[in-house]
Amino acid sequence: MAETTVFVRKASGLVRAWSLFDGFIYAFFSVNLITLGLYIFAFAPFFPEAHLVPAIIISSLFIIGEIIVYSMLISIMPRAGGDYVWQSRVLGGGLGFVLSMTGWVFILWHWVPVYGNILSYEVLSPLALWLASWTQNKGFIDLALWFIDKNGLFFSSLIVIILAFVFVGLGMKTYARIQKFCFYVGMGGLLISIIMLLSADKAAFINNFNSFAASMFQVDANLYQKILEQAKSAGYTPVAWNQMSVVAGLPLIPLVLFWNLWPNWGATLYGEVQGATEFKRNFWSMMGGLLVAVILALLLLALFAKTFGWEFYLAVNSVFFGGESPLPIFPYPGLFIALLSSNPLWQLIILLSLSMWFFGWCGTVFLSSTRVIFAAAFDRVLPEWVAHVSPRTRVPFNALLLMAIPATIISILYSYLPGFSTYTLDTTVVIAITYLGTTIAGILLPYRDKALFASSPVSRYKVGTVPVISIAGVIFAAFLAWNIYKWATDSTYGVNNPVSAIYMLILYLIAITIYVVSKWLRRKQGIDLEMVYRNIPVE
Amino acid sequence: MTRIFFATDVHGSEVCWKKFINAGKFYQAEVLILGGDITGKALVPIVSIPGKKYKVSFLEQQMTIKEGQLEEIESLIRNRGYYPLVVSEEEYQELCRDQALVKKRFEELVLQTAEKWLEYAEARLKEWGIDCYICPGNDDMFEVDEVFKKGERVKVAEGKVVEINHRWLMVSTGWTNPTPWQTYRECSEEELHVKLENIVQQLDTSLEYAIFNFHAPPYQSGLDEAPELDAMLRPKYAGRSLVPVGSKAVRVIVEKYQPPLGLFGHIHEGKGIKRLGKTLCINPGSSYEQGILLGCLIDLDDTGIKKYLLTSG
Repeated sequence: MAETTVFVRKASGLVRAWSLFDGFIYAFFSVNLITLGLYIFAFAPFFPEAHLVPAIIISSLFIIGEIIVYSMLISIMPRAGGDYVWQSRVLGGGLGFVLSMTGWVFILWHWVPVYGNILSYEVLSPLALWLASWTQNKGFIDLALWFIDKNGLFFSSLIVIILAFVFVGLGMKTYARIQKFCFYVGMGGLLISIIMLLSADKAAFINNFNSFAASMFQVDANLYQKILEQAKSAGYTPVAWNQMSVVAGLPLIPLVLFWNLWPNWGATLYGEVQGATEFKRNFWSMMGGLLVAVILALLLLALFAKTFGWEFYLAVNSVFFGGESPLPIFPYPGLFIALLSSNPLWQLIILLSLSMWFFGWCGTVFLSSTRVIFAAAFDRVLPEWVAHVSPRTRVPFNALLLMAIPATIISILYSYLPGFSTYTLDTTVVIAITYLGTTIAGILLPYRDKALFASSPVSRYKVGTVPVISIAGVIFAAFLAWNIYKWATDSTYGVNNPVSAIYMLILYLIAITIYVVSKWLRRKQGIDLEMVYRNIPVE
Repeated sequence: MTRIFFATDVHGSEVCWKKFINAGKFYQAEVLILGGDITGKALVPIVSIPGKKYKVSFLEQQMTIKEGQLEEIESLIRNRGYYPLVVSEEEYQELCRDQALVKKRFEELVLQTAEKWLEYAEARLKEWGIDCYICPGNDDMFEVDEVFKKGERVKVAEGKVVEINHRWLMVSTGWTNPTPWQTYRECSEEELHVKLENIVQQLDTSLEYAIFNFHAPPYQSGLDEAPELDAMLRPKYAGRSLVPVGSKAVRVIVEKYQPPLGLFGHIHEGKGIKRLGKTLCINPGSSYEQGILLGCLIDLDDTGIKKYLLTSG
């Protein structure tokens, strides 16, 4: 039986489907392997009994649930503002505002010093070391060390704020192009890195590493061995590379989530774009981003084990975060890969091309936040001025300042207030709670707004009579709840101390206060905020 | 004080039209205003097959339905803004071969639906005592105006000055600047400028209480950001690259006359509120495919705009 078709007439907005590849790039950059991934993997030695590989695989399997929920929500209700709009529609305006403002605005102020850290550790400090090696000017070694000191970290945070401000200010058209350029150059760098890791042997790496460290920092001529011994004497014995049991993966899952929880990061950006309702396209964009990132992560870790030695890779991170490393810089694998070549130009090409993973990614720290701010301002919960866009430059200055000013203050506290950096570990906890809110909205939507669900292309996806969005939502919600429990009860993750909990509660309290005050003020003006999402009954 | 409810771009969605008509009573608005693009874009053939069954392509899937499900599917199709058409296999094949026939059936369905919508609206608006102004947009064929002109409570506002209350006046047009789709009511920016000037000139009083209800939003106002398209009309960068596509003529006219309120539509992605000089510019956006009526409530009195609220009903 031949398939039937739909006849369309001349009408505006009839566009073809967007490229799956373009959607993939954004999701892939959000689960950013080189910047966020390598940074997060470096914390693995805090769990000596655990193994990264099963943790990555198991957590990513559960994140497929997240991808199903978000791609179906986009299909049912494509809205700029994403989580905020879905939660407001299904769970109510108050809950939607509180969860989204904390998760997408307040907490992203705290992401800035994390981004700053990564910029220092993985881009600026390695480049300064390369300059030192190339010019034989020791001043650049001091610069490399300065970048990872508190002043350098604050400097890097300011660079992140400026870059994010400029990228968002330039507009989506320009930012999308910058991101695509960074993707191609960054992937080129990764490909070269993989080839070099494949072709180099461990002995060559040890030799190059030792001579580089000795010439730069006047350390032991066999620093490689010294680091292994120092880690062992500190009581650190990692799980061997080939011991990848499921049980060994569990402790690291709540840590790995800091890296791979974000394939849905673009969900706030889809807006009412034509074609955004196509479930499969959204699903495969995000799924492709996650899948490729996971495959590359596993490949890179295997190559690290082969070329650097698995025990060394973990030991060098262990002694670094232990605070007594004879190697005074962050053990960035990108730098180690560059050391596989003795040609300064190749080294520079590797470092610069891998740094594109950072520059293509760092705009995302403000991008989604400004959309949520706009959505809340259009709903009159936030004042109109926050959504003001300069008529001349088309830059949303106020929304950006609302991100940049608090982010600067948080960055100062992060760099100069001892102990404050622990609170930034809350960044993932709070966003996970926001995602949990959206997931619950996804579970309930087919039952709370039956007409809306029935009119969507995803209403046909059912197991028996239960919608797939609800099933995937329950699985993912249980997974998130388990992680939140682990973060709250295991001190190794660094977020379960009472001060940290109070800090999180203060953030929620601020959001609740804004909503309550706004609602009261609007009521005084004769505006009922409850009206915004109330369904119009049809007679 | 007068409360108006403005929505736009329902694009044939029956549930959105019904919500629009019911919005007056629900939001306690005295006046309803519908921007352009009232009619649908697609015709969905439901082909009868042996065994009292039908096959239909809808919501990204090919479905075979039983006779008992026909009414439900037709309703879903209408609510999404499309026109269901039950045909035999022979009629369907003929439609596939004959573009002129498709056009003819389209016109018939658009006008039949408009008649039905008008009937639905008149019965309720008369009972509730609510006025309704509609202004067909660039996607609406001219014959649609003639159907709605038969209404008593529903009035076609294209090119006219209408009294919202004793003080507030509104001028409207559904014409837009050129689009890539060569639709019914689009023209060059120069022609549009002349049209807009002629419309505004009809306001022989002060513009202190004027509403400009123009389908095309002002260029670079933020209310006109649509996905950048390539030569094949595919959104670039997965739809994340947005570019301004509004009308320069509309912007010039708004900035020249500075009415207190500007109501716009056309760009579904451009939902928002912006101020251009003294003018509060509103584009409520559109989510017609989901059956959600995006709109804006605005309270007007003798001192100006008292309050406004974007809604998602």
